[in-house]
Amino acid sequence: METLLNVGQGFGVALLPINLLYCFIGVFIGTLVGVLPGIGPISAMSLLLPITLSGTPESGIIMMAGIYYGSMYGGSTTSILVNIPGEAASVVTCIDGHQMAKQGRAGPALGISALGSFIAGTFALVALMLVAPSLASVAIAFGPAEYFSLMVLGLVVLTFLTQGSMAKALLMACIGIVLGLVGLDSITAQPRLTFGRLELIDGIGLVPVVMGLFGVAEVLINTEQIIKRDVINAKITHLLPNKADWKASAGPIGRGTILGFFLGILPGGGSVISSFASYALEKRLSKTPERFGNGAIEGVAGPEAANNAAAGGAFIPLMTLGIPPNVVMALLLGAFIVHGVQPGPLMITQNPGLFWGIVASMYIGNAMLLVLNLPLIGMWVQLLKLPYNILFPLIILFTIIGVYCSSNNVFDVYVMIAFGLIGYFMRKLGYEPAPLVLAFVLGPMLENNLRKSLILSQGDLFTFVERPISAVCLAIAVVLLVGPLLPSLRKKRELVALDEGV
Amino acid sequence: MSDPTNVKLRVNNSELWGGLIGLVLGVFVVWSGLKLKLGTINDPGSGYVMFYTGILMCLFAVTIIIAAVTEGGATFGSRWTGARWTKPLVVIACLIAFALALDRLGFLLSTIPLMLLLLRLIDPVRWSLAIPIALLAPLGVWWVLKRLLLIQLPAGIFEIG
Repeated sequence: METLLNVGQGFGVALLPINLLYCFIGVFIGTLVGVLPGIGPISAMSLLLPITLSGTPESGIIMMAGIYYGSMYGGSTTSILVNIPGEAASVVTCIDGHQMAKQGRAGPALGISALGSFIAGTFALVALMLVAPSLASVAIAFGPAEYFSLMVLGLVVLTFLTQGSMAKALLMACIGIVLGLVGLDSITAQPRLTFGRLELIDGIGLVPVVMGLFGVAEVLINTEQIIKRDVINAKITHLLPNKADWKASAGPIGRGTILGFFLGILPGGGSVISSFASYALEKRLSKTPERFGNGAIEGVAGPEAANNAAAGGAFIPLMTLGIPPNVVMALLLGAFIVHGVQPGPLMITQNPGLFWGIVASMYIGNAMLLVLNLPLIGMWVQLLKLPYNILFPLIILFTIIGVYCSSNNVFDVYVMIAFGLIGYFMRKLGYEPAPLVLAFVLGPMLENNLRKSLILSQGDLFTFVERPISAVCLAIAVVLLVGPLLPSLRKKRELVALDEGV
Repeated sequence: MSDPTNVKLRVNNSELWGGLIGLVLGVFVVWSGLKLKLGTINDPGSGYVMFYTGILMCLFAVTIIIAAVTEGGATFGSRWTGARWTKPLVVIACLIAFALALDRLGFLLSTIPLMLLLLRLIDPVRWSLAIPIALLAPLGVWWVLKRLLLIQLPAGIFEIG
């Protein structure tokens, strides 16, 4: 009953005209960046972070969240019609989705993808509503030791799942922590690594770092190749899947939803890994696995449901513990903080309007996405024909503007360009930027909680292993760190390694 | 026959250089941590976390270096095989020139040439399309920011914009 009252309160917030407008802008931009290859939700969210400053926290977060789950919908359109993933979570949709399109079944592929996403997104929201308040009440008992260990676990899981060498990913995470510590020490007020520059006293901004590493670096990588697009030109008809399609897709959607939701909650996990896991699961369970790769609708329905459910699940650790499980959530955390709201166990009780408003807006956003992605599919197909040589200068222009507006400071534009160059060379040399960004956001919190726990325990390091939650987190982290030394686990890691670069 | 794109103890081993840069950064972070004061384990100082993070950086960098020497690493050339490497270089040069000009020339006088260069130098867009885009996009953004959102953009020495 209490949950229903809370949901009612949430809809009261989400249905305010201004919040509806922000929700629509968010899901529209999300679909747009999902559809356009070369710009992903991370770049778009960092680009729009400054714009949210002018509104209320609810409006800003509603829009940012809309971009995230909207991009999950939009990404599948490009995968199915062009065979290029619009964003990283849709990589796997290319395999069977594009084959279906080539066989003249683009309509059902797009339809099942949007409807599967809608079902999974709705389930994830119901689960978020039920799980988040209970988890938040448990999380109140968390001390600095638990927070520290959870953050360590989150970073280790992300480095474990990152493509390529784990040593490189861990090095990136360490660099991220150090970059996060630049500026005044929150306890002693001593300036650290500021090199006498006033602009660095408050630390390096999240927006220029992310825009550089993901926005500018992505453009530099893309200009190296001639981007060819093999857009399906046939008229898209029969968007609603038939009875046989539904029969084949019901199981994959159900399994993908549950799998995606739980993988989304895990620190370091997210939409990319859940879509791959769902595809592998469906192929293994299928009586005719040879159809996979040749246009099996299950290969579209399962992963699309999984990546949308994961997008919903990922809100749980952020909203209840204040710990972002992936880079996108780290950006959302940045949005919460710029509005003076600290997500965590107390947020649901202290800011019920904000929490339930965001949850309710996601229901509305999901319904908006269904309309945007099915009846308006023709519009997105036209957009796919926009050439990259016109698109990328505009992306550069908007990154410059986004960074400048976030601080009204030219220095941040320099920082963005510098991180763009660093990001480009990092990727060329096989260093992934995702662990760096997550560590950059978690760095100050990690340091604060470590120092607090050491002060509280009077320097007793056993405090981290004597507390059960902390001990379990650290034990898992150690297993993941040592695991890649074993050949069997190294193989598994290579299979699930993900690229969050887009 | 050995793979020419994978070398061990050679100057063009990109993995080796990646590890060495990581090591230098790690040593710098350790030194910075020490300079900031470590404090004690009961009361950690400003440099405590930085110092230990620096040590971890050195450790991971050494791991990368060892792997580069024992297993070998890709040459710099192979990292750019099949890529139009001059294109990102041009974009980088344009961005650096833009960064240098932004404060002096202001937003409009630096952004319009940047857009024009990017539109023409990478995969050339025809002039009849490139000029309107290069003019209208920055002007549109400038108008929205300055007139609607009242955000002051750099005007430069000529006070344009």
